[in-house]
Amino acid sequence: MKLRDMDNNLIVLNQVSKEFRVGEENFTALNDVSLEIEGGAFMSFVGPSGSGKTTLLNLIGGLDVPTTGNIYFKGSNLSSMSRHQMASYRRENIGFIFQTYNLLPVYSVYENVLFPLLMNGFKEKDVRGRVMDIVAKVGLSDQSKKRPSQLSGGQCQRVAIARALVKDPLIILADEPTANLDSENSLQILELMLDLNRQYKAAVVFSTHDEKVYKYVRRVVKLEDGKIFSDKNNLNKVS
Amino acid sequence: MNWEIANKNFYRQGTRAFLNVLVTALSIISLIFMLSLLNGFQAQATRNLAITDVGGGHYRAPGFDILSPTEWEDHTLQVPEQLMQLPNKNKAEVLVQQGQLYPNRRLYPVQIRGISMDQSLLSLPLDNLKKFNEKIEDFIPGVIGVKMAKKAHLKKDDILTLKWRDKSGAVDARDILIVDVADMVNPRVDDGVVWMRLDHLQSMTDRKGEVSWVAVRNYVGPLDNFLFQSPEILMADLLALFRHDRKNSKVLWSILMILVCMSIFNTQVLNIFKRQKEIGTLMALGMDSKRIVKIFTLEGTLAAIWALVVATFLGVPFFIWFQGIGFDVSHLSQATFPIRETIYPAYEPLEIFYSLTIVFVLVVGAAWLPVKKITGLDPTLALRGRAIK
Repeated sequence: MKLRDMDNNLIVLNQVSKEFRVGEENFTALNDVSLEIEGGAFMSFVGPSGSGKTTLLNLIGGLDVPTTGNIYFKGSNLSSMSRHQMASYRRENIGFIFQTYNLLPVYSVYENVLFPLLMNGFKEKDVRGRVMDIVAKVGLSDQSKKRPSQLSGGQCQRVAIARALVKDPLIILADEPTANLDSENSLQILELMLDLNRQYKAAVVFSTHDEKVYKYVRRVVKLEDGKIFSDKNNLNKVS
Repeated sequence: MNWEIANKNFYRQGTRAFLNVLVTALSIISLIFMLSLLNGFQAQATRNLAITDVGGGHYRAPGFDILSPTEWEDHTLQVPEQLMQLPNKNKAEVLVQQGQLYPNRRLYPVQIRGISMDQSLLSLPLDNLKKFNEKIEDFIPGVIGVKMAKKAHLKKDDILTLKWRDKSGAVDARDILIVDVADMVNPRVDDGVVWMRLDHLQSMTDRKGEVSWVAVRNYVGPLDNFLFQSPEILMADLLALFRHDRKNSKVLWSILMILVCMSIFNTQVLNIFKRQKEIGTLMALGMDSKRIVKIFTLEGTLAAIWALVVATFLGVPFFIWFQGIGFDVSHLSQATFPIRETIYPAYEPLEIFYSLTIVFVLVVGAAWLPVKKITGLDPTLALRGRAIK
């Protein structure tokens, strides 16, 4: 499946377009997008609603497939993968953080964080320490037995971050992670993610229109009407 | 691990899982209940017809046809030796003649049935006739059924004229005293029937020792001059109705099953519908579609098992209790079915087994199908909760 050498790029998008059927018409969510994401990146897709940010994240995360064009992960073409291979790709390499947290409602904080490891074939007794460590890193040690319904929005998002990080993925895709949080919680989450990005070296890609995020990321890709409007390094970043 | 996850998911859903199980269990109970009532109704009708009229079959005078009243007089015979020797618990001698009653000066054609007072094969409420002697005194004692009394506007102790013809064709008439208005259960031995002692009717018609038929408990072999008619022949109309009713009951069973299925399917699909995002999340976390389907199907299996357990715990005491009190169908006893005021459910193990199997498969299928559909679509649709609408 390795088609070409991708240098140090983790993800390469090559003339990717995505169309959706809306009623009788086709809606172009992404139009001929090409870009690269390097390992350890801390970047953001920004743009107004409908600009294609979430679609782009979904394509990179293997949740969707492009209508045309190719997406390469470490040289492997995602478009040629089967559903089963795509699931393995997500399981082993991708950590998702959703706007609405998407935690498993009947599981405790600990179990939610443990879950991706169990899916990757680990035994609980072997990874208990690792799970508790990461739960501690997101500041939820004393909440580890609680269920998502007993937590605040900020706490839920921390659990989602811990869940995304625990399997040590190469990429974390965060779709509007601060959209449902107040300013204080948003800043805490961003600080935490930046800190974890430094520690774990996972590439973190946000999709957001929250200006607070702009200050933290090292690279900002602006999207408009499904096209890349600009792709710049952020010189005003906090760190 | 799949089983572990399914277990956790199921038991931790708490009230939602409990309600799902309860709905399914109640559906199972209502299904069995309705089917067993229908069975009970048919079983009771057949049994009542047997114990009040048919017994284990009739030895009839050849040519006797209950539907040809004008010929009843021509088809009577002496009771054959073989039947006379039977104990009274195994036979009931019956003479049937036509007659006319004159209630309120109106002519009312009736079937006069004389039955031996010693018989205990048929269960008929004719005890009041036993008080009388073999010899007719001032009045002929007669018993009629409730339906007959209602139709002819008669009551106990009424005296009215009864007209009949004797063996030689001479018309005779005498006053009859209604000694009892009894609940006959079976409309066939009630509507238009006047019961009297066999010896009285034989003496009235000058047919000493003659009968139209002898009801027996069991077939005793072929007899000269008498033709055996089996319960199946004698109950042919009712059995035909039931056969037809069986078809109807299959339709009813199917309708009940569809209703139950819809209820269960609706509950299950609603459950899955609410968990679309959860399924999407599992897909996003990299869980294989097959595994997701397996986990949710296992959850469905757990729900089905618990539904059977709950249905057993709630249903068995209910069915036992109901078996004791029965179901009031007094409105039906006024109709043409030979049933009592109360019917009791009859449980058919095979029918219950089929029903439970179908419900079980359905619950599991209802868990499997929508999840299978969801996991076949893009995970993004599930994540947005739009995979099934």
